[in-house]
Amino acid sequence: MSGKQVSKGGAANKSKKPAKGGAEEKREDALQAVILADSFQDRFQPFALEKPRCLLPLVNVPVIEYTLEYLASNGVQEVFIYCGAHSEDVETYIHDSDRWSPESNLCPFSSVDFIRVSDASSIGDFLRDLDKRSLISGDFILIHGDVVANIPLDGILARHRARREANRDACMTIVLRSTGDSPHRTAKARGITPVFVVDPTNGRCLQYEEMHPLQKDKYVKLDESVFEYAEFDLRTDLIDCGIDICTPDVLALWSESFDYELPRKNFLHGVLKDWELNGKIISAEILEEGYGARASNLQMYDCISKDILHRWALPYVPDSNLLHGQTYKYKRGLWLEDGAHIAKNSTVTKSVLGKTAYVDTGSTISSSIIGRRCQIGKNVRIENSYIWDDAVIEDGATVLHSIVANDAVIGKHSYIPQGSLISYGVRISAGTQLSSKPLPRISLFTSEREPVKTDIKLVGNDGKGAQYKEPEDDEDSDSEDEGDADPAVLQSSLIYSLAGLNISSESISTLATHDSDDDLSDDEYEQGLQAKTNRERLSSFASDDSAAAVMKLDQFHGDAVHGLVDALRADDNEDFDSAKLEFMGLRLANNASDSMMRKAIAVAFATRAAELMSPENGGLEPTKAAGRALTSKKGAVKFITEVGVGGNKVDLHAEFALALQKALAAIKGLDSARAGTLLAAMLQQLYNLDVLEEEGILAWWADARAAENDTLSKIKERSRVLVEWLENADEEDSNEDSDEEDEDSD
Amino acid sequence: MASSQMSYAPTLGKLLKSLNTQPLEASIEALIYLLKRRQVKGDDVANATAHMLLQVVAKSKWQNVDQLLAKVSNTGHRLAQAAPTEQVIGNVVRRVMGLIRDEASEDRNADEMGDSVSDLSQLPTTPTISTRPGPTPLRAATLPMSKSMFNLLCVSETAQSPVTGASTPMSQGASANMHALRSEVIDGIEEIMDEISQADDQIAGFADIQIHPGDYVLAYLPSPTVERFLLKAAAKRRFTVFIASAERQKPGEVPHAALRKKLNGLGVNAISLASNGLMAYMPRVNKVVISAKAVYANGGISTESGCSTAARAAQEYSKPVIVLSGVYKFCPVDPSDDGTEFEQGDSSTYVDYADGEAVDALEVENIVGEYLPPQYVDVYLTNLGPQTRDHLATIMADHYKLEDMGLSLHLP
Repeated sequence: MSGKQVSKGGAANKSKKPAKGGAEEKREDALQAVILADSFQDRFQPFALEKPRCLLPLVNVPVIEYTLEYLASNGVQEVFIYCGAHSEDVETYIHDSDRWSPESNLCPFSSVDFIRVSDASSIGDFLRDLDKRSLISGDFILIHGDVVANIPLDGILARHRARREANRDACMTIVLRSTGDSPHRTAKARGITPVFVVDPTNGRCLQYEEMHPLQKDKYVKLDESVFEYAEFDLRTDLIDCGIDICTPDVLALWSESFDYELPRKNFLHGVLKDWELNGKIISAEILEEGYGARASNLQMYDCISKDILHRWALPYVPDSNLLHGQTYKYKRGLWLEDGAHIAKNSTVTKSVLGKTAYVDTGSTISSSIIGRRCQIGKNVRIENSYIWDDAVIEDGATVLHSIVANDAVIGKHSYIPQGSLISYGVRISAGTQLSSKPLPRISLFTSEREPVKTDIKLVGNDGKGAQYKEPEDDEDSDSEDEGDADPAVLQSSLIYSLAGLNISSESISTLATHDSDDDLSDDEYEQGLQAKTNRERLSSFASDDSAAAVMKLDQFHGDAVHGLVDALRADDNEDFDSAKLEFMGLRLANNASDSMMRKAIAVAFATRAAELMSPENGGLEPTKAAGRALTSKKGAVKFITEVGVGGNKVDLHAEFALALQKALAAIKGLDSARAGTLLAAMLQQLYNLDVLEEEGILAWWADARAAENDTLSKIKERSRVLVEWLENADEEDSNEDSDEEDEDSD
Repeated sequence: MASSQMSYAPTLGKLLKSLNTQPLEASIEALIYLLKRRQVKGDDVANATAHMLLQVVAKSKWQNVDQLLAKVSNTGHRLAQAAPTEQVIGNVVRRVMGLIRDEASEDRNADEMGDSVSDLSQLPTTPTISTRPGPTPLRAATLPMSKSMFNLLCVSETAQSPVTGASTPMSQGASANMHALRSEVIDGIEEIMDEISQADDQIAGFADIQIHPGDYVLAYLPSPTVERFLLKAAAKRRFTVFIASAERQKPGEVPHAALRKKLNGLGVNAISLASNGLMAYMPRVNKVVISAKAVYANGGISTESGCSTAARAAQEYSKPVIVLSGVYKFCPVDPSDDGTEFEQGDSSTYVDYADGEAVDALEVENIVGEYLPPQYVDVYLTNLGPQTRDHLATIMADHYKLEDMGLSLHLP
């Protein structure tokens, strides 16, 4: 097609441009924008298998239209579009569009260029590529291809400039929208909560972290340097609009750190962390007015669609008809395009109907978006759903809060439960009642983009399509229940739900047999699927990459526990020294703190002891299990004394007892009574082995943290006999006591 | 610093500057999107429409009056589609079309009436051109009036040459006529533009007649027209202004602070009211001033939503309601009854998006315009002076051609 040739021509021009010195000056005042049209995620699967996600319809308009229109409304002149998967589709779309095609004189941009990077596997690769091309002459807007916003940029640009002129190192401004204190649907929908630490006096961003409901540690570690500022705000209520104002320095920073992949999790976090090294200042523009959000996953898609219909994103409403050829009219809660027809006795409320969509008699449609040429039969019920172009819903069918993609057919009297995703061309035969467990995600293609074999049980006899399965993650074979804990799980479905997910309500570390994966942001997780080397790369840079430091600590815990338990399980008579060596190596590599080590050791021994009590391992009595776990290995006791307890101060002993208690409390499948007995047994063993002093155990007994919640206090109660015995023995043994201490210190 | 004040967002001002360098189609498209994105609104719309029609007349290719009319109405149609709630676009288009008809018929009369050769040969070509709703009444009205000359102007070279045998002089004559017509129409549009830009000042000129010393004047959501009116009056008179508004107040922000400051500077006391307290103040008020977005043929007006509360309250206490409106806002059609001509505004006017519970629970309908029936209006203060309802029809007849009055820009 001619369109593509022009695109290549455009690329050729670009490479010449920097050579033209004269043109530079003129371009100085033309505003440039870079659109990241692919984010290397698969949260729109199975839809994004067949179509790039920036072309998926959001209120019947391809998502990228919103971004382009937003840029046009802010007077952007030059646009560079980076697309990854399906780049041809995006290019064809733009070239065929009356409005954006670079050859059309109607295009509000002076240039629209596509940049393809063949080996890119992350946004970081795009930006490093952009740096090499030296296309950017001044401040530019870095924006995701799925942004819906109506925030005027003029003021933000002016303030960015003022900051930059005051300080050359002010290199980036992030646009954020505050959502206030009360729970907000967008805050829930995004899955990951960004945590910004901001200096309120000048808007400077000091630290960036991410949190999500499935992570183990429900806290954020503040950098010490943050406390050097007189004031700082810790904000979790901000919507990240996905709009950054950058200077070319930002690209240089990307190039310097070749392992950064994500603009927030890696780049922002890293640059702020290494502030002392790079000296760059990043500011946050926190807005109280206007609308800005990214349709970054299906729940956000749902949210933004609602926001658009409720006119939060004005002028982005259907009746603005911003897309060429659109003819929506708004009347009494309905947006109808030309030729859309609703039969007399059907009820349609707060919905959008595309061109020549047809709704037959007796149907009820509410809060739904129906694409062009859709056919809705008689007595159909559709609620909160998204029916894309050309789909057919036959008589008597029910569709609840689902997405039905182009050309899909929902047969007569079938039932589509909440949260279903019905992909392109899928056919659900008449009378099929889809079950909501697992959530139907039906596609004609597998995750490898190969046609699937129709699953007749699922879609009925005349149906087409089968349940879409997430690609297997072969790297993480060592993590058993990792899938449960990944936030991507939260984001890949249309409905936000924590039900069925394994979430610990406790604020302490759970006994984590899975590795650090659940602490990776979903972005990273998903990139991992595409870039197989991802995990290794991240690990190998661990020592010098402080960006990943927090993550490393969690990884340390997982790895350390694993190593120790394996060593304890081993039947051979090998000395425990090698395990100890490995442990200390891990500790040094990750710069783990003493408390981290204590926790890991306590968890490892508690796990082993609990394991020995389980029937498949012989079902030993708690006392024996405790003894076996602690003493079966030569050197293990010494290891606990030296590393786990780490000294003979009373509080250290108490800490270790507490760590043991908590580790036992967190073991799954161990009721608190048995856990308590085991704890008592282990404490007694440790006391007998002279690892723990009675003062230590008594201090633990008195410690309020040991009875923080029901489980802990139940467990604790079981040790009462031991404690009472210790208290009685206290006076008698006071003489020996001092001897023991002397021995310990040797 | 120059660069830090630089603004990138497209505005009407920037568009008007670029008119001469851009192709016509690109300018129209740019304006359409400014309208769609609400980056041009309010009183700028009329001005922008006039500018764009001037470009159409000056830049587009047309051989005869019909083609020109078709082009103007087509452009007007597209602009009106982009901003269906702005009645004023239709008004300006009607004015310009009337102007073209006037100039064309003047030209014809001024021209020597000698050769009325081609009227019969021309007739078949006109229907093909004038299939649009706009030009259709034109034929009915203008053909009987000056049939021969009209057709002479409409003539195309091929049609003329066989009749006269001297095609070159004829077409030169025709193109010279068209050239003259073009410049006359352009002059006419410039006059309309002047009228639009001066309307507010002229209306303000009547301020001291309408507002008397010691008056209590209620201004509901004062528009720039009302502000200018009040300020002009404040320069001469001592009176008190109540400023009423219903919008969500942002914390720490005084509504209409700028206006209040200016009025206070001129020694006029300005008091802000919440609109729900209007009725209580009404006995004290001497007159209510509101501005119209459009004045319909029946005398009803389209205005900011909430104004009718004020007007009804005023009627209850028999206080006069003065509507400020430039003549260019007079719209020679009756209001439609389905309410589609009123713009739906941003929900954040009334509810903060940051209020998560409200965002989830509420459905905000913010209709920014409303219709005020004629019985609530006492005086229409135009740039031609104060008028009563009875005179509206005369003014409309003066400004619009009968054949353009029925022009409907909102049909698909």
